[in-house]
Amino acid sequence: MATPSKQYKAIGEDLWKSRTEKVNAELFALTYGALVVQLIQDYEDYGEVNKQLEKMGYNIGTRLIEDFLARSSVGRCSDFREVGEVVAKVGFKSFLNITPTVTHPPPTSRPTSVQRQTSVPNSSFTLTLDENPLAEFVELPEEALEGGLWFSNVLCGVLRGALEMVQMQVQVEFLSDVLRGDETTELRVTLLKYLEEEVPMGDE
Amino acid sequence: VIAVGEDPSASTVPPTTSAGSRTNTLTFDEEAKLVYGVILSLRNMIKKLSRRDEQFTSYRTSTYRLHLYETLSGYKFVMLSDPSTDGLRFVLRQIYSGPFVDYVARNPLVSMDSREQGIDNEYFRASVDRMIRGLSVFA
Repeated sequence: MATPSKQYKAIGEDLWKSRTEKVNAELFALTYGALVVQLIQDYEDYGEVNKQLEKMGYNIGTRLIEDFLARSSVGRCSDFREVGEVVAKVGFKSFLNITPTVTHPPPTSRPTSVQRQTSVPNSSFTLTLDENPLAEFVELPEEALEGGLWFSNVLCGVLRGALEMVQMQVQVEFLSDVLRGDETTELRVTLLKYLEEEVPMGDE
Repeated sequence: VIAVGEDPSASTVPPTTSAGSRTNTLTFDEEAKLVYGVILSLRNMIKKLSRRDEQFTSYRTSTYRLHLYETLSGYKFVMLSDPSTDGLRFVLRQIYSGPFVDYVARNPLVSMDSREQGIDNEYFRASVDRMIRGLSVFA
């Protein structure tokens, strides 16, 4: 790893402190909650609500990454492991002021193929959120639990959108959520493939 | 000052110190496409010649100098200036972290995919204009 994790922590802390416009946490939580409630009323299907939240997150993520890149001096990550570190320690910290714990899966032993963590699409990391500012005052009703609602699914979209803009196609999903009665809130980010830059003008 | 987005680049017409006006035989879109092609080719050539991290930043001809700042997200900021100007890459970076993030990224109604249509926006233009005019190199 090029930069030790302590440095990422410091960068994240700096970015959070230097951000002059902060919004009231309650207002943020209430706004997000109102959004989810409206989606539930409009779509009446929790699976669809999950999808819409992810879509919204995707649009946010494609723009959020510009804010992130412009303000932080973080360069390109050398491997997917580093991506996890930066996302957790700098990304989440500078926008939500939380630092989820990153866990990387142990290297699997595959006797038939040569494994390189960087390019083999089996790379992933898991983010464990100790606190979730989106769901501060939330308790899910019975039908939402049965319907399979992932309340904070917008986060999945944000990560997917942001990472796609830096040429990584990822799949992000919730593994567990304390709102659902689970022990922890966990997100798994799996690298599908690295993207090549598209050349827009095919005629020339 | 004209701001046009290209996939993905924004180019600003030169704050040139010479007295004469530029005769544009090409429309802005065509010119932008050519500039993009040049940049892409040069970048690929440089990547092959040197290590992956090296970046092409500018080139100079007898009539102009081209400065390039490319973000990790693939957006390219291009500035054309008088050949005697010093490096203006830092200005491009300022445009990125200032007006671009403020008026393009943060405005959900502005499309950031410049394939169909360039990224253009009144506030963006105005603030880039202000920033450029405030520079010492601007005549």
